[in-house]
Amino acid sequence: MALLAPFLIRRGAALLATWRIWRDTLRFAGRATVTAATPSAYNSATRTVVMKQIYFTAWQILPGFTLFAALLSFVLIQIVVTTAAKFGLSDYALEVSMRLLVLELLPLITALFVALRSGSAINTEVALMKIQGEIEALEDAGVDTLRLELMPRVIGGMISVLALTALTSVLALVLAYLAVYGLQWWSFPDFTRVMGKVFDTPVLAGILLKSLAFGLAVTVIPVAEGMATPRKLFMAPISVLRGMVRLFFALMLIEVASLAFKYI
Amino acid sequence: MNLVMKWQTDDAGRRAFLADHPDSILVSPDLPLRANLSVLDNIALIPQYQANLDYDAAADRAWSLLQRVGQSGAAFKRDPDLSHEERFVAKLLRAAIGRPPVILVDRPGMLLPDLHYPPYLEALLGSLADTLNDCWILDYTWNAPLYPNR
Repeated sequence: MALLAPFLIRRGAALLATWRIWRDTLRFAGRATVTAATPSAYNSATRTVVMKQIYFTAWQILPGFTLFAALLSFVLIQIVVTTAAKFGLSDYALEVSMRLLVLELLPLITALFVALRSGSAINTEVALMKIQGEIEALEDAGVDTLRLELMPRVIGGMISVLALTALTSVLALVLAYLAVYGLQWWSFPDFTRVMGKVFDTPVLAGILLKSLAFGLAVTVIPVAEGMATPRKLFMAPISVLRGMVRLFFALMLIEVASLAFKYI
Repeated sequence: MNLVMKWQTDDAGRRAFLADHPDSILVSPDLPLRANLSVLDNIALIPQYQANLDYDAAADRAWSLLQRVGQSGAAFKRDPDLSHEERFVAKLLRAAIGRPPVILVDRPGMLLPDLHYPPYLEALLGSLADTLNDCWILDYTWNAPLYPNR
């Protein structure tokens, strides 16, 4: 009992700390969403931060990420088309490759890429702003940091994830058409018929919701983790580490929830 | 501009004074500039945010203030590249550009460690007199002999 009690106290404290950070994250997500939905929250300064965020998150990575997504899509489509042909299931190749890429893989890969590149940067920047007192300095100067620094990052990140997902999905559609039908246009009606079957309204709404959830996660979790950093410089790497691990689990959880909703 | 000295005998008194005046805009060693913005952007951010000015108009206002105090050379530098004097001017102009009722310069000796700061402060604040309302300087009593005119 003497050994068990300290163990239970430690585990309980760790559990409470985890609960608190998730509660704060959800609270921040709620506040950021309400602020983002308030038209008066936008002014020249917030628009500048949103544009900068989109530039750093989506525009800067556009050529490299598009090339990578095209390559990955091309390889996976070829695998699906070849395998389907081997089993005499060529009629299903297009549908299967689109379900695999556009509904599942591309949104997840986009979110992971943005999380690695921008989520970690946002987490580090907000943690350093908190540690060095920059947040406090802006508040003292009469600037609402939720409106100026935090909410625009969430909006910019969400727009970036949505835009990159849409772009890579369209690219995958084009590549799938070329892989299945070749470089000609007369099969376009067949292609659109299959696409209409795959992408009905509930499925499109599902992709949109999932991408929005990914976009929210890749910005809200790093910002909330950065804001929770104690004002000690050595805590900056710990904050980023925690933020990235929590972000990874959140993204996986969203993906699993989406799969379960669709297929179970 | 009305320049007022607020003498404090110790840190506890200073903290209590700051807590009693939450509406004053602080120029303090504890409140840094935004590290990833230039001096010009740090200053322009305030009217851009508070008055919804577009960036060019806000930057013009910030630039004219920097020119007036002879520090336009620091406009495009970021915090780590600034001298103590340039950093102090940037913080002061960030506070001044919104024309708050009171600007409180907290422990100027810590902000300007390499200067005989009392005459420098008076000259600098004098050059901004028409853009400032009240300016309070919070310093310790043992530094009082450094201020011959006060």
